[in-house]
Amino acid sequence: MKIDVRGEICPYPMMKTAEALKKLEGDEALEVLTDHAPALGTIPWEAAKNGYETSIEGAADSEWRLTLRKSEKAAKPQELIANLQEQLAALNVSE
Amino acid sequence: MGTNVEAQKAAGQSQLVSGRSALRIVAVGAVLAMLAILAAVDSRLAIMWLFGLAFGVILQRSRLCFASGFRDIFLMNDAGTMRAIAIGIGIATLGFWLVMQTMVADPGSGALPAAVHVIPIGLHLVVGGVAFGFGMVIAGGCVSGTMYRIGEGYVASWVAMGGILVGLYLAARTWNWWWTNHISNMPSVFLPKWLGYGGAVGLTLLALAGIVLLSYWWEYRTGPMPSFALGKQAEPPAMELGAKLRQVYGLVFGKGWPIAVGAIALAVLNVFFYIFDRPLGVTGELSIWSDRIASGLLRLQAPALLGAEGLSGCNLTVGMGSWWTSEGLFLDGGLIIGAMVAALLANEFKVRVPPVKRRYVQSAIGGVFMGYGAGIAVGCTIGAFFSAIPSLGLNGWIFALSLLPGAYLGVRVIKRIQ
Repeated sequence: MKIDVRGEICPYPMMKTAEALKKLEGDEALEVLTDHAPALGTIPWEAAKNGYETSIEGAADSEWRLTLRKSEKAAKPQELIANLQEQLAALNVSE
Repeated sequence: MGTNVEAQKAAGQSQLVSGRSALRIVAVGAVLAMLAILAAVDSRLAIMWLFGLAFGVILQRSRLCFASGFRDIFLMNDAGTMRAIAIGIGIATLGFWLVMQTMVADPGSGALPAAVHVIPIGLHLVVGGVAFGFGMVIAGGCVSGTMYRIGEGYVASWVAMGGILVGLYLAARTWNWWWTNHISNMPSVFLPKWLGYGGAVGLTLLALAGIVLLSYWWEYRTGPMPSFALGKQAEPPAMELGAKLRQVYGLVFGKGWPIAVGAIALAVLNVFFYIFDRPLGVTGELSIWSDRIASGLLRLQAPALLGAEGLSGCNLTVGMGSWWTSEGLFLDGGLIIGAMVAALLANEFKVRVPPVKRRYVQSAIGGVFMGYGAGIAVGCTIGAFFSAIPSLGLNGWIFALSLLPGAYLGVRVIKRIQ
């Protein structure tokens, strides 16, 4: 599933992602397009609590594409976001 | 053919990049030109402008958001922002103490240090705090948050600002009722009068430490929290001066600042601002904008306000002279422009249009609640909270505690309006 939450005000990017995660079936991945930088911290966290791992890539200036995939490491939220800081550092942004 | 298209594309991109660099240079140039003009007119205005710019840069780079500080406690079980704010308030408390000590050496005399944000306690703080807490969650940002997001290009924040000005006008229309029936009968509680500075500062720091501990307990009571500090990598050392300078620039305008850095920077700015003039606050000036628009453009003159001028803090003001006679214009304007320039330099400026119309309605309504709350509580999360607790007044704590149920109500509501 793909959702586009560009333009949304805080905290809707995170809330709409949480809603969408509930609708996923099986091992389906969720792709989130956002231009709200604070969501780069909140979405992976919310995803990790639900057993999803997030990878972030820059989509355009001030726009990012987050891909949330169900992980076998689901038991440990810490591991799901362990490399988040590195991902954000590589993109030159922080949550 | 293909290479031709690619070459054109590359040329277009480099044009785009140089266009952006040009915009940055123009923006920084305009800010400096404004500084030079103000310095020539009145050095105080230039200093206000610098404080405003720093305020905006700090908020934008650290995305210090008081709304999320209160909201995320309920929305995400996350009290990290609140923890950062508590640390910032603690630092401001120490700084304010030193400033106040030089003004009133013996607080037991009952004298209040000049400009300190100590106002009568009472129901106006509770009603104002609940309304403000509710409004900031509905609108997706408090007053200062709305201002820095305007600078970042969030269109809904413009609408929220409109709501704030309307709310401040409504507060001015009802202020005299609040003053006559309640506020004028209530005492101001300046804690050092009873406890001395040492006792009041000690108690404040103890309470803030309690908040920090509580914040950890809150986060961990439902199980372990993911930690964000894992795997942070140090940058390789720069081998030449140019690379080093780029690295330093990147520290400020590359990655965002950790939120605690923002809170501490804002606390230091607050102490400097108190040394220069008064504790930080933004809504007093906004009430002047609200009054100018209501009385000047719309012929809706609010009545003269009883007692408001005697209150120190972000009191409502009506009937001020021209736009340009107010120093606060350059503080509040500087905040917005500072945030905009910071966002441009960090490549984070973007016009963000909400995808659904109800966000505008929501932002406007949230703004009205915030404006009204800030009006009767004599300040927003900056003036009545971030500056009031370091002022060692009981009013700051009452307002802060009232923000919590307001934010909780706001979270219940935003979950229903997806």
